[in-house]
Amino acid sequence: MAVTSKTAPAAITRPSAAAEKPPNKYRQAFPQYAAVSPFFILFAIFGAFPVLFSIWISFHSWDGIGQMKWVGLEQYRYLLTDETFWKTIGNTMIIWVLSTVPMLLLALVIANALHNATRLRTFYRIAYFIPNVTSVVAITLVFGSIFSNNFGLLNAFLRSIGVGEVQWLTSPWGIKIAIATIVTWRWVGYNAIIYLAGLQAISADVYEAAKVDGASPRQTFWRITVPMMRPVILFTAVTSTIGGLQIFTESRVLFGDTSNIGGPGDAGLTIVSYLYQSAFIKNQFGYGAAIGWALFILIVLFSIINWRLIGGNDDERLTRRAARRVERRIAAQNAKREAADVHANVD
Amino acid sequence: MTLSRRHFLAAGSAVAAAGLTGCGSRSSLGGSNELSMWTWVGSVNDDLIGQAEKAIPGYDGMKLAMTRIGSNYKTKVLTALAGKSLVPDIVAINDDVATYFPNADQFHDLYDLGAKELEKDFLPWKWKWGVTPQGKMMAYPMDTGPTALFYRTDIFQKAGVDIDPAAVAGIAPDWDAFITLGKKLKQAVPGSAITDNITSIYGYRMAQQSKRYMTPDGQYLGDQDHVRQSFDLAVRVVKEGLSANAQNSTDKNAVVTNGQLVAYNGAVWWAQLGPKNAAPKTKGLWRVTAAPGGAGNKGGSFLAITKYCKNPKAAFAFISWLESAKNQAQAFLDPVLFPSTPASYTDSRLSAPDPFFGGQKIVDVFAESAKKYPGAYFSPYDTIIDTPIGAELVNVEASGKDPDQAWADAQHQIERELTRAGAI
Repeated sequence: MAVTSKTAPAAITRPSAAAEKPPNKYRQAFPQYAAVSPFFILFAIFGAFPVLFSIWISFHSWDGIGQMKWVGLEQYRYLLTDETFWKTIGNTMIIWVLSTVPMLLLALVIANALHNATRLRTFYRIAYFIPNVTSVVAITLVFGSIFSNNFGLLNAFLRSIGVGEVQWLTSPWGIKIAIATIVTWRWVGYNAIIYLAGLQAISADVYEAAKVDGASPRQTFWRITVPMMRPVILFTAVTSTIGGLQIFTESRVLFGDTSNIGGPGDAGLTIVSYLYQSAFIKNQFGYGAAIGWALFILIVLFSIINWRLIGGNDDERLTRRAARRVERRIAAQNAKREAADVHANVD
Repeated sequence: MTLSRRHFLAAGSAVAAAGLTGCGSRSSLGGSNELSMWTWVGSVNDDLIGQAEKAIPGYDGMKLAMTRIGSNYKTKVLTALAGKSLVPDIVAINDDVATYFPNADQFHDLYDLGAKELEKDFLPWKWKWGVTPQGKMMAYPMDTGPTALFYRTDIFQKAGVDIDPAAVAGIAPDWDAFITLGKKLKQAVPGSAITDNITSIYGYRMAQQSKRYMTPDGQYLGDQDHVRQSFDLAVRVVKEGLSANAQNSTDKNAVVTNGQLVAYNGAVWWAQLGPKNAAPKTKGLWRVTAAPGGAGNKGGSFLAITKYCKNPKAAFAFISWLESAKNQAQAFLDPVLFPSTPASYTDSRLSAPDPFFGGQKIVDVFAESAKKYPGAYFSPYDTIIDTPIGAELVNVEASGKDPDQAWADAQHQIERELTRAGAI
């Protein structure tokens, strides 16, 4: 009774408190949350859930339909001792280097040419960009008949000029070069267009000044164009790295009709095609998920390397480096002085 | 209830939630009077499907809703089964039917639906392939892929070999004799080959055996003599210079088009995929005869009724109608599926002379092969075992790898993969 008599007056003394109390914070913000929710709902279903589920799968042995069997870290243990997996990393790296280096160099040259073109500019730009929007499957079928061992166009050409034919689609290097060529052909125009945008952003004044100072075209290119294009070049390098680690379609279509999607000797088997083969051909979804996570770790590693090489503000880094240098010098001086003191004391 | 905005939103979100969780009783795909079916392109006769799309024979209230899946067929079927929702009532299954056996509970036992009575109409070995080792009938036979020897009469004539099919079968009753014949052909017409590549020889030799890679009770046979001998035979054909080393589809077609492939031990479907498509100009020059080494089978598919099926009886009525001897004969005309019902072999539509083969009744040869084929047990792990062996054979032919090393590497890889799959 005492309790009720204590609380009752409070209610009486402040009758309008409930009405005046600000409405529930969450309730008030509900429309805003509702308005932004579609993205989060879709992301949760198609982004977050599959990612988390794939971690879960990678600890299981699962054929896709039957019961999932918990195997702990067994898939990862197998992965680390799997020669094929390590081979796919090597293949991917080699194909990546073979495609990215010539591609970016070629793109820079093409961009320069496009930049200086005076006639049919739009036509050339479209022409170089078209490979990028052509169906990969169609591209690879065409390249398949170009590189085909016995009756390919390329070998027919090599024979006609008296050079021996190359077993493009069966020798380890032939396969990698064939895949790298397709990747290069497909992306060179795309990168050239990005470089072109970068070139057009460089002020003509700089070039004029260089010309007045008597710079040769080569000097202009290496000392003005390339340094000023640096951010653009870095952007293309990063996107090519990401793309390069995920090369898949080219080898899949080149060798899709054979018993082995990596081609003879698995020479064209990339990380992603091995993932595809494990999960969707051999129906070992647990192992496929494990490969996916290994690829994730690899991409993180590369991102860190990229970030160390490229990332951060240049000035800031230089400042930090200078600061460290000064610190070292002071430390060295201190050490010297201490040593001198010690000597002095000993003496 | 008035249709206020609040009610509308509530109803809308309820519908969305139901759709997202896939709840409700609709676990099979299609309307309540529709039997949904998935298959890949070129696996059924379109006229027959057209009839069933109007009404399932014997079940006038039901009709078929057919979907032809363009690519990654198996992945899509597995995804649907794993999703346990909107699963098609009927699915086609390829010759890797045994890989579904560990999940046979996903399908209806066709013996429960009256399949037993129809068993006598089918080739016994083909029928057995659809039955699990536990005796459940999971898949119903569609077409088969009996093998025979295809050969070019013009090249044989140049080499002074009798071109009569019976005579050729007599000259090359086994693989040794076939290799001798191949050498003779190569001497007469340089560049001649008796296979497109090394894996074809291996695959077709294995297709003639009465056992493959495992016993029904799960014992591994892949390292035994019958496999090793097939492996060695394939290597020998290459070492004798009788393989065209054509590893991809462009080259495989090219060796038919340019006439390098003068004889080929292949399955019936190769008649269309090989010479008829790739070398139409050789019309009349080809013949078929019994293959060296005996009857064999490569390829052929099945139909299965998933456990989600809304009307299993109607589904079974449909598949048994589609695969009746009469209708299988029609499917041979288009899209050239070789029947699994021996009664079809005497159907006038099949036994007509084929002008591409110089008027020969090629069906007789393949029917003989289909009837004589001993049959072999396919295990759920055959694909896992077959892939490394095939890949290593390509290494031998394409990059000159030492055959013994290739064999050892293949066995090592198989052992690792089987251990992981829990098979040994």
